[in-house]
Amino acid sequence: MPLRPPPMAGSFEPRFITVDDTPLGARLLLHHAPAQARARGLVLYVHPFAEEMNKARRMAALQARALAAAGLAVAQLDLLGCGDSAGDFGDASWARWVDDVVHAARWLQQRHPARDGESAPPLWLWGLRAGTLLAVAAGARLAEAGSACHYLFWQPAPLGKLLLQQFLRLRAAGELAAGQAKAAMEQLRAELAAGRAVEIAGYTLSPALCKGLEQAELKPPPAQPPGRLLWFELSAVENPRLAPAGAATLAAWQQAGWQVQAQAVQGPPFWQTTEIEDAPALLDATARALLAPPSAQPAATEPAAA
Amino acid sequence: MPTRSDPTPMDVTREVINVLDEVLSLGGRAASFTRETHLLGAIPELDSMAVATLITTLEERLGFVADDDLDGEAFATVGALADFVSAQIAQ
Repeated sequence: MPLRPPPMAGSFEPRFITVDDTPLGARLLLHHAPAQARARGLVLYVHPFAEEMNKARRMAALQARALAAAGLAVAQLDLLGCGDSAGDFGDASWARWVDDVVHAARWLQQRHPARDGESAPPLWLWGLRAGTLLAVAAGARLAEAGSACHYLFWQPAPLGKLLLQQFLRLRAAGELAAGQAKAAMEQLRAELAAGRAVEIAGYTLSPALCKGLEQAELKPPPAQPPGRLLWFELSAVENPRLAPAGAATLAAWQQAGWQVQAQAVQGPPFWQTTEIEDAPALLDATARALLAPPSAQPAATEPAAA
Repeated sequence: MPTRSDPTPMDVTREVINVLDEVLSLGGRAASFTRETHLLGAIPELDSMAVATLITTLEERLGFVADDDLDGEAFATVGALADFVSAQIAQ
């Protein structure tokens, strides 16, 4: 796939925020200032799990720059033990990651406060894969504190349980087709149940991280009032369709009053491809949906493959 | 959830064939597959890593978590794989 030159962008600054007073309190935030004085909206990127974060970094950066150039303030957060934030992966727990997202969202809001006589710019939590699960957990906390937000999901993961199972299975990939995977999986689960960390593909996973991921679901948080949900899936086939797996989740958000737009676009699964790849159609569709006024958008969801 | 309706066996077979084509980069060859088409041992692209990717993609497209003890028989034919997936969804 041809690489596109990065879009024109405003400036961006890496900075550390402090989420607690422990030696593990520093988190890296990459803040992309909007191309105009007043941000049209605030967007916080929540990265996916383990190696997927590294694979997706380029796409996240391309999208962040494009949105900043269009007048939004964007921040890319490195969670505890990831990227350039403090700690090792093995220090992470699900609850601390959710805290990280809440802290980063508040930092972004304080950095771009409401001006006199105007309402505060809308806050979007933008998640990819496991990041979508963290986003809704953090969004629920923000909503309880009176700060409603909208959601932008890339390749949402309706079930944390599935993500965990797939990651554990990396240890047993070679044995899958031979029917030998069960023993390896049972041993991993026994280790976790006994409160011991497991190491997979170079990542140490604490029991507290695994438990939180396993229980996470993409349920609509009780925001007041419900906001917008932009849901994008990628597929390599021509004329991609939404996966049946997300249908029940999408219906739940619609029933809860959220204005849902769901769309499948063509592109590679860049969070797992061997080479770093781009999905230009996703960048374009995301910017279009995010920048369009909600009233100009059809609230409908394209039908999932039944 | 009240809106949840499990896909029919025909939907599952179609999705299995689509995912085979996508994961194995068959470039449309899978369109001619039937339930009787042999997979493991018959399609060179289907190695052990491809099996792992295949099951992962099916889980994500169809929304189920496969048992740990799945074995090679589930990958013998398109029909066997579709039946395995349907049984997992129904659990």
